Amino acid sequence: MQDRIDVYADLIVRVGANLQPGQTFFVNALPEHRELARALARSAYDAGASYVDVRYSDPHVRRAQIELGPADALTHSPDWQVERAGAIEGNAIASIAGEAEPELLSDLDQERVGKSRMIAVAERALEIQNDRAVNWTIAAYPNAGWAEQVFGEPDVERLWRAIAATVRLDEPAPVVAWREHTARLQARCRELDALRLDALHFQGPGTDLTVGLLPQSRWVGGGIETRAGIPHVPNLPTEEVFTCPDWRRTEGAVRSTRPLALGGTIVRDLELTFAGGEAVDVKAATGLDAVRGQLETDAFARRLGEVALVDGSSRVGQTGITFFNTLFDENASCHIAWGSAVLFSAPELAGLTPDETRERGANVSAVHTDFMIGGPDVTVDGITGDGRRVPILREDVWQLT
Amino acid sequence: MAVDVDERLERYADLAVRVGANVEEGQDVFIQALIEHAPLARAMTRAAYRAGARYVDVLYRDEHVRKAMIELGPDEALEHSPEWLKERWREIPGNANLATTGDPEPELLADLDGTRVGRARMKEVIEIARRGMLERSINWTGIAYPNEGWAEKVFGEPDVDRLWEAVAFCTRLDEPDPVVAWREHIARLERRAARLNELAFDAVHYRGPGTDFTVGLLPGARWMSALFRTASGREYVPNMPTEEIFTTPDCRRAEGTIASSLPLALQGDIVEGLRLTVVDGKIVDVEADHGAELVRGQLESDDRAAYFGELALVDGTSRVGQTGITFFDTLYDENATCHIAYGFGIPEAFDEVPDEGMNISTVHTDFMVGRPELEVDGLTADGKAVPILRNETWQLPE
Repeated sequence: MQDRIDVYADLIVRVGANLQPGQTFFVNALPEHRELARALARSAYDAGASYVDVRYSDPHVRRAQIELGPADALTHSPDWQVERAGAIEGNAIASIAGEAEPELLSDLDQERVGKSRMIAVAERALEIQNDRAVNWTIAAYPNAGWAEQVFGEPDVERLWRAIAATVRLDEPAPVVAWREHTARLQARCRELDALRLDALHFQGPGTDLTVGLLPQSRWVGGGIETRAGIPHVPNLPTEEVFTCPDWRRTEGAVRSTRPLALGGTIVRDLELTFAGGEAVDVKAATGLDAVRGQLETDAFARRLGEVALVDGSSRVGQTGITFFNTLFDENASCHIAWGSAVLFSAPELAGLTPDETRERGANVSAVHTDFMIGGPDVTVDGITGDGRRVPILREDVWQLT
Repeated sequence: MAVDVDERLERYADLAVRVGANVEEGQDVFIQALIEHAPLARAMTRAAYRAGARYVDVLYRDEHVRKAMIELGPDEALEHSPEWLKERWREIPGNANLATTGDPEPELLADLDGTRVGRARMKEVIEIARRGMLERSINWTGIAYPNEGWAEKVFGEPDVDRLWEAVAFCTRLDEPDPVVAWREHIARLERRAARLNELAFDAVHYRGPGTDFTVGLLPGARWMSALFRTASGREYVPNMPTEEIFTTPDCRRAEGTIASSLPLALQGDIVEGLRLTVVDGKIVDVEADHGAELVRGQLESDDRAAYFGELALVDGTSRVGQTGITFFDTLYDENATCHIAYGFGIPEAFDEVPDEGMNISTVHTDFMVGRPELEVDGLTADGKAVPILRNETWQLPE
């Protein structure tokens, strides 16, 4: 009988990243994730990795920089970090989520918090992802601080069980269960593609939002393939089907339906108003400065790069838990993201320059942040090119076949 | 949210940054630590920014990941040097570097294939790091982080508080003003080194149980304390604690037998009762009660590994020696008593470019030879013996 953590590591390596023999396996994790990182190293070598390269990034080090370091170094990307970000090309990578101290940065100057990003590193990694030159995945590891935030007490075991349910570790054969699950999501994508929708309309409390879609963007769910044809599942868990919207055609107001963990602070009751594709007004009960910091990163951060649909059959949604972590919460509910487009849904745009990509309607920015806008009170309709409305979600139930 | 601040840890980190690496305003600061040392790495990061660092770059190592590689990885992984890690070492010259010791699991690799353990070295990375050191453009230091596993190894129980007390005593954190205490301490070591340099010995002779060893000195190499200067003149203290006076010997002139006096922690295992036979400068025979193959493996790393790179003298006033503790950590144990290193020499011992008598290798391993019975003499060019140490007491005037 394998330990739970080893079964999980195998799932991340074999289904999530789908590591191929001879590839280097990169792992990005927090110090608190080290037990999983170690299990991943063992699993990856078993699966034929040529080398396992684990890097721990430490939020306390980042905190010290924001609090005590010079302002002009906040966006500094060391050359070696850019080099490492580039080294994932042609290889496999797992990033581990699950912040151990989700509010670690909340008492700092939020403008500095928002600025503090290794922009060149993030851009290099995103470039390779969008070029579909890496088989990658993100998975979470439970810890006391995160459990405390979710349950009000550091009940790590309870969080472990919740995560295990959402990633189907409770199934007798998790790898087989994942094959069936991803096939179901892929069928939904084909259904949506066949409708050739021109826009989506979200309506609910505080929300009346129309998101224009791109004709060349397809719906994606249940995993993607690299350019070299290696299928992988970028998020464990995943319950969403998503596409890339037209950054010029978002109109109306939207209110978030779940809290958003953003750079060490929690954003609650976020409200955005869009005109001509751009977020022109921003409100939030908490965390507003962190959102503003992000939206000011560059000229295109205020525009949408993703729209995703999730229904009530979601295992994440069924836990009834707010995980305060986008990887989970975005899979509980419909969501949109400001910032860079998810170009997996429009592969013919990958490899174009940022200007060319934007010319074709897909956004390019240094940020990409999902926030949740769905739920039982929010209806979702598709609007076809000739103005016909097609119900997609009612009370969290999928309306297509 | 407020961060829990451990006062002692902050003062300790301050000492490492201000006295150890002596970080200069505007420098980048590189920190290498085991993942278990994160609290110290974080405190040093804060201290470095307070000292005016421009950017602090922390890199954690995880020995369990390395263990997985040695146990399960392909042969070519063992010596693999990631390009990004080479790049990181190319960025360090001109900047400050801090590294931590204090192994939380000293015997983690003990049950693995010793040959693979020995081969698992990032040779290209080490070579770039060595070149950086030769340029003398890095102000660097090493400092230990007390932790449960290390305390267990030292005391037979995970008494971290007791280990912290010992560490605080050895690093003079128990002084009202540790920075001033360090200044005085280093000044005394510098005076001893100056006296040895005046005497200009040609060789050193060690005599004691299992030891009868003569090693030649180099006219161009000074005796020095661990007060180093970069090529641009910035002073720093590379080891905390430090109690030694040391020099780079002539790697061509060494003869005799040496018995180590303390266990040596090496590559995830412990070498005990090490005995070396030396002919024409080279270690030609290695015996040990435990772990001889680890030393033999290391000596085969390159064709100069079996030659000597350092001689160090420590007397009974050493705070480390006074604790009476075997720390199973070279940073400490080498400061308890006299030691010798095979492998790479110490370029800092030369005022100019090191001469050809300095050994160049990819390894540098210190092992302890000092004990009360050990007698150390300086030999003058005309063969006269001058006592330097008797019964762990310094024999030269101070």
